[in-house]
Amino acid sequence: MDRTLSNFINALRNADVRISTAETLDAFNTVELVGYRDRQFLKDSLALVLPKTQDEKEAFDACFDQFFRYHEVDDKGMRRAANDDDGDEADEAEGGQGEGEGGGGSGGDPDAQQRTGKKKKKKSKGARDEEVADEDLGAGEMAEPDSKLGKLLMTNSKVQVSMAIAAAGREVDVQSITVFTQKGLYTRKIMDAMGLPDMQQEMAGLKQSRRIPDRRLAVELQHRREWLREQVRDHVEQQFLLHADAEGRRVREDMLRRIKLSNVEQRNQHLIKDVVFRMAKKLVAMHSRRKKVFKRGQLNVPRTIRHNMAYDGAIFDLHWKSKKVDRPKVFAICDVSGSVAEYARFMLMFLYSLEEVMPNIRSFAFSSDLAEVSDIFSRNRLDDAIAKTLRDYSAGSTNYTQSFRDFRKLCMDDIDNRTTIIILGDARNNYADSPTDILKEMYDRSKRLIWLNPEPRSTWNQGDSEMRKYSAYCHQVEECNSLMHLERVVNNLLRTVA
Amino acid sequence: MTDIAKIASSVKSLQESLEAHNYICSDQIATAVYLAYQLRKPILIEGPPGVGKTELAKTTSQMFELELIRLQCYEGLDEAKALYEWKYGKQLLYTQVLKETLDEVLQGAKGFAESVKRLHEFGDIFFSEEFLEPRPLMKALKAEDGCVLLIDEIDKADHEFESLLLEILSDYQVSIPEIGTLKATKNPPLVFLTSNNTREISDALKRRCLHLYIPFPDLELEQRIIHARVPEIPPELRRQLVQFIHELRDMDLKKVPAISETIDWARTLMLLHTDNLDQDLVRDTLNVILKFQEDIENVQPELSTLTSNALKA
Repeated sequence: MDRTLSNFINALRNADVRISTAETLDAFNTVELVGYRDRQFLKDSLALVLPKTQDEKEAFDACFDQFFRYHEVDDKGMRRAANDDDGDEADEAEGGQGEGEGGGGSGGDPDAQQRTGKKKKKKSKGARDEEVADEDLGAGEMAEPDSKLGKLLMTNSKVQVSMAIAAAGREVDVQSITVFTQKGLYTRKIMDAMGLPDMQQEMAGLKQSRRIPDRRLAVELQHRREWLREQVRDHVEQQFLLHADAEGRRVREDMLRRIKLSNVEQRNQHLIKDVVFRMAKKLVAMHSRRKKVFKRGQLNVPRTIRHNMAYDGAIFDLHWKSKKVDRPKVFAICDVSGSVAEYARFMLMFLYSLEEVMPNIRSFAFSSDLAEVSDIFSRNRLDDAIAKTLRDYSAGSTNYTQSFRDFRKLCMDDIDNRTTIIILGDARNNYADSPTDILKEMYDRSKRLIWLNPEPRSTWNQGDSEMRKYSAYCHQVEECNSLMHLERVVNNLLRTVA
Repeated sequence: MTDIAKIASSVKSLQESLEAHNYICSDQIATAVYLAYQLRKPILIEGPPGVGKTELAKTTSQMFELELIRLQCYEGLDEAKALYEWKYGKQLLYTQVLKETLDEVLQGAKGFAESVKRLHEFGDIFFSEEFLEPRPLMKALKAEDGCVLLIDEIDKADHEFESLLLEILSDYQVSIPEIGTLKATKNPPLVFLTSNNTREISDALKRRCLHLYIPFPDLELEQRIIHARVPEIPPELRRQLVQFIHELRDMDLKKVPAISETIDWARTLMLLHTDNLDQDLVRDTLNVILKFQEDIENVQPELSTLTSNALKA
């Protein structure tokens, strides 16, 4: 009972719901109070105790439904297996075929073997025909199974079966499942560990038997075996979700942080977006707390007097007015020409996810000419805005000289000593003349000028790269081609500006 | 005296009892109150404005016949206004009195050490509960028969204030440096916190609370709410009106109408003796449900479709 709940909490954690130990204890108390009987009531109750944001509630809903679905199928399957003799035949035949090979194992109880005599492996066609014939045996006396698994299945106790499945699972170490392709393998392993080969043999023998009750039993066992297979598959599925999927995702995300942004595949785009938002959220949390330290400054006279009345009006316990913190003002200038576009995408995504701690972002995009794109971002959703920017401005070959000129025309006057300018580009000016006077002016006016270059340092200054020339007028020059780099840069940015 | 334990013994009876007090609620909400009472845990209620977060606390206090102590949060709220403050005036006055009678007090004291010892007896008195001015949180702890404590719009208060609440929420006690720890009576208060989600509440606070999210109600529930609040409204009009509001909520508006607006609108329509929604009437009363000119302008062109949908469905 307790195992169920802690497994469930484990699954929730894997689904990104943050649950502390204290909350786990609460959940146990809740379950003690509420019980497992009323599913909806349990769900409502746990939904109050465990997930604490709306996103988490959604994850919880999905998780709960999936996790506790198991038992519903359980009920239905058992009932069908127990009552319904003329089930879908095609289904059964298929099952029989699949199991044909597995059934040839050695061992098994002597009685069954003896009765089988000259048993032969049943392959699909033969098996099907016979089963169809067997369907019509009708209700009546039924033989007792001899194999261990057969006995277990005939007990009609799903609890015992579940326990047996779990035990077999532990035996074959199903928890170490790591990739989804192993699901089939582990299903087989568990079934074997539960003694399927024995039962298989027994069934084969029973089908050959002349006694009607024996044959009836064979049919019955066939039903139950299918039901069991379903259960085991569910069990493996659950274990996979509990253990493997989260592990795999963690590895994937860790890799995504380090991978070169231009190499991110299309199908991983949404994943990396999540990572970006999570990193941004972390930074927001970190820096919104940090600003509290700066909240000192002016004397708060009324409060000071009120608090010092207790000391006979002598003022020695001082109270301060909290001071508003300067939010960083960021100008992001992004090269969006083919080679750098992918990096620009993620930098913009990152910067705009930080809105809470950096509300004053103006962004500019250029390849040959430069234009401000802040408007596009304020009016559209982040995804759309980025797509639009890349579509509209990425044509043309890179021209830093012209772009700097445009920038001076547009907003050189807006740069003040609180502004941080981030330029993202590879500094490849296509062998054009690269005067640095405008960059120098930007450098002089701004608080900081940071140049992020997605190329590795070793290739800077090679070919048409003007990095050496430009870097003279930057406060900071960084190589930046993965999310980790990006996080580090933005973190420093917030720290120095706040 | 209502039997609190009996009402709170099951979700069903809670739900009925809340309904008897004109608060129609879903199973989730009733479950939350049930767990809060049984597990003695505060509830943090989140949800869009106007879905009855504050109302739940009020109704619960009525239902249990407990006093409602309300603390409205705002930026700059601190412990002096929320928890306790010393009665400085009284302290000053008593100091003066003491000054004048100092001679009598010290009379016969031999040596400095003994004088100081006698003075010490007074020192402690000045910082005793006599001189303590309890603010809402402390009042709630000291309430003899228990009470309902409503901490409203916690998201409006500063981060620091949340930390101040932690001790109260987890252990129902406060520590006052000069006196020590004050514990709640044997009936700790039933605590409701509400938040409009203007900012994230810290994990530490969330961890100590049950978390209830109240969304907009579905059609059927909202009809029942309207029925409870505005009983005189004819059923057909009620259905149309709720349908209309639900369609509005699906639109892209600056502020979508909440339950409180639906109730207001229902009352307005009753005042105008309406039996059926029609387009002109809706246009004239649109400002009851929409609070931004921009929204009103957005909805105007859609009015005829919206109204006919509401009539049809």
